[in-house]
Amino acid sequence: MKLFDFVRERQWVPITGYLIYVSALTAGYYYNLTFVQLGLTDLGTREIGMAPEDVSIVMGVLALLTLVAAVGSGLVMDRRGWSTDLYVKFRLLFLIILVQLLLTIAAPFVSTVEQFVLWVVICSATLGLGIPVTFSFMLDFIPVRDRGYVAAVVAGLSFFVAALYPIEWRIHEFSLVMSAMMVPAVLILAVLSVKRFAFVDSLAGQHERSTFRVGRFCRPIPIRTLSFAFWGPVLLMFGVFFIDSLGFLRIIEEPLYIYTSWQSPDLSVRLFIAVLHVVGALAAGVLYTNFDRNWVFFWVFGLFAFTHLLYVFDIQFGGGETPALILPMFYVLAVSFYTTLNFALWPDLSTTETIGTHTALGVGIAGWLATFMSTALALYSEGIGLPLGSHMTYVNALSLLFIVALPILLYVHRMFELARGEVSS
Amino acid sequence: MNLELIPLLIIVLLMISAGGVDVETTELVIEGDHEITEHRGALIVGDATVTIPDDETISGPVYVIGGEFQIHGEVEGDVTQLSGSLVVENGGTIDGELQHIGGSEEFADDAAIGERSTVEFAPAEPGPIAAYTPVVLTTLFLSLVGAWLSRKRPALLENVGTTARDHPVISLTVGALLSVTFLAVFVFMAFTLVLLPVSIFGLLIGLVTIAYGIIGMGYLAGKRLDTPRVGLATGLGVVGIMMLLQVVGAVPILGDLIAGGLLLIGLGAVVVTYFGLQEFEPVSLPE
Repeated sequence: MKLFDFVRERQWVPITGYLIYVSALTAGYYYNLTFVQLGLTDLGTREIGMAPEDVSIVMGVLALLTLVAAVGSGLVMDRRGWSTDLYVKFRLLFLIILVQLLLTIAAPFVSTVEQFVLWVVICSATLGLGIPVTFSFMLDFIPVRDRGYVAAVVAGLSFFVAALYPIEWRIHEFSLVMSAMMVPAVLILAVLSVKRFAFVDSLAGQHERSTFRVGRFCRPIPIRTLSFAFWGPVLLMFGVFFIDSLGFLRIIEEPLYIYTSWQSPDLSVRLFIAVLHVVGALAAGVLYTNFDRNWVFFWVFGLFAFTHLLYVFDIQFGGGETPALILPMFYVLAVSFYTTLNFALWPDLSTTETIGTHTALGVGIAGWLATFMSTALALYSEGIGLPLGSHMTYVNALSLLFIVALPILLYVHRMFELARGEVSS
Repeated sequence: MNLELIPLLIIVLLMISAGGVDVETTELVIEGDHEITEHRGALIVGDATVTIPDDETISGPVYVIGGEFQIHGEVEGDVTQLSGSLVVENGGTIDGELQHIGGSEEFADDAAIGERSTVEFAPAEPGPIAAYTPVVLTTLFLSLVGAWLSRKRPALLENVGTTARDHPVISLTVGALLSVTFLAVFVFMAFTLVLLPVSIFGLLIGLVTIAYGIIGMGYLAGKRLDTPRVGLATGLGVVGIMMLLQVVGAVPILGDLIAGGLLLIGLGAVVVTYFGLQEFEPVSLPE
């Protein structure tokens, strides 16, 4: 790891960059995992009393608005050169966290549907802006060599903490804790936004080094936004996560499976899940760093497919008993692999000119849109009383469609390449 | 799930498939405490405590491969015990045959058992010679294979050994992921019964791969002996690795972790080098 070289040579400035990146991304992802994903459902259904299918529509709106805001801000950042201006990014992050702090404080007081929709709209705008701002920090702080490992640390830490806290979801209590945690971050970013520091100047210049500025998959030829090399991974990551989480989100809501999921009241089960998230993320980091990216894709797809098979089999033949921990074990591994890949992949498909747009599109579509669209659809199917078996039939149909469409698309793409004479044979 | 249950589970699934029981009604209870009041088809008791309460009847057959099976009520079919504990309380009844192959059993005075048979495979407390004979024979076999391979195709073992030495974290990660995933896949395949032969074949390939990893590491250890007789050096290296695994494995928990880690490193090294056919080089990233 390059980090060990920095430690050996006592280069504290780049080491500070690692710490800033891990802290910012871990805190941000933890906030999204808990407050946004759990809190939104809780706020809509329990606190305001909306029907699950109505909340699902609001979640769909959140996903789309977040994507639009992310892509818009990513494009603007790249065009104006903000993607490579660390001070501008600190100012934007300050603005984002300040607004999110206000949203977090306000959340328990949201009591009408209108207020809830307004809360969601503002939240999606800040989340959208946050995607290119935070994910492009990789370019400033983390050399290409260490991106897999650092992505693994961020994914592992976020899931570890989120699996253990909060054990019981109470929006009033959690809002208070989150607000208290966000205040120091707002103060630090406020100072960094208005005052220049020598160490920040050094950090701000790191993206000019070749080991930082060009992503791993952009060597020697940078990947263009309008290319199959970029949209292929976007489609793959979106398809896999959307289809699989659509199934799992309904499955883990079943009372039978809650005892072996994140919502388990048993602390030892949650600890098992938390530790496994860390182990899975680190394994993904090792694979990402040392193998061709197809290997990691292969593992992500394989793990999701096998986990899906295990759950569907258990639903049909499980006999109503609490399932063994092997089921959540594979689900946790798959999610950790997928998340680690998501953190590292998009910056590595970018250069200083494209990082804002590419991270916004990649994370926005394969991460946010996939997660929230699937959450919204799962909530909707639950709300209209669709039985689990029928829901899984739709998910299986989508999986089959995806499996058929994927090789056909690859084949057609190859045909186009041959027709254009882009490849020799 | 206790890994030691897997061979027993596969044996039981073979028995079920030979007995013509419908696999869809077969139930495996892996962990926890369970009271079963009705069940149709075969029941496999794994690492769990399963109780048939008073005045309740299940059809069977029941296979006990671990944990504890308590009968207060009635089992209409056969009960086969390969391991674990079987307790038949007062009033408890087994209408079919109780076949005892291994594990402990306890019967109350009023327990009723239709027919009983015992199959003894080995004395309960084997002596030191009997206990170590399989290990010694395995070591001898691996040493001979290692000696032969190192003379005929030394490059294969060189690739495996150097990868295990130079890239232990990568090898361990790949080995651990493969073993966890494929073990689950093979056990899952075994439950389909149709794929039981594939499952057994897959587990055998897994064992061969682990053995190959041990030979690769033995080759590496043998090189330290600084002798021109590469076959002998590899054979002795394999003996050294096997002894190390035995000694380290004697230490509870930590020893098992180290021994398991070594085996997984070997497994990973074999896989990433395509059984030694090519050197493993991590992807090149800018320094």
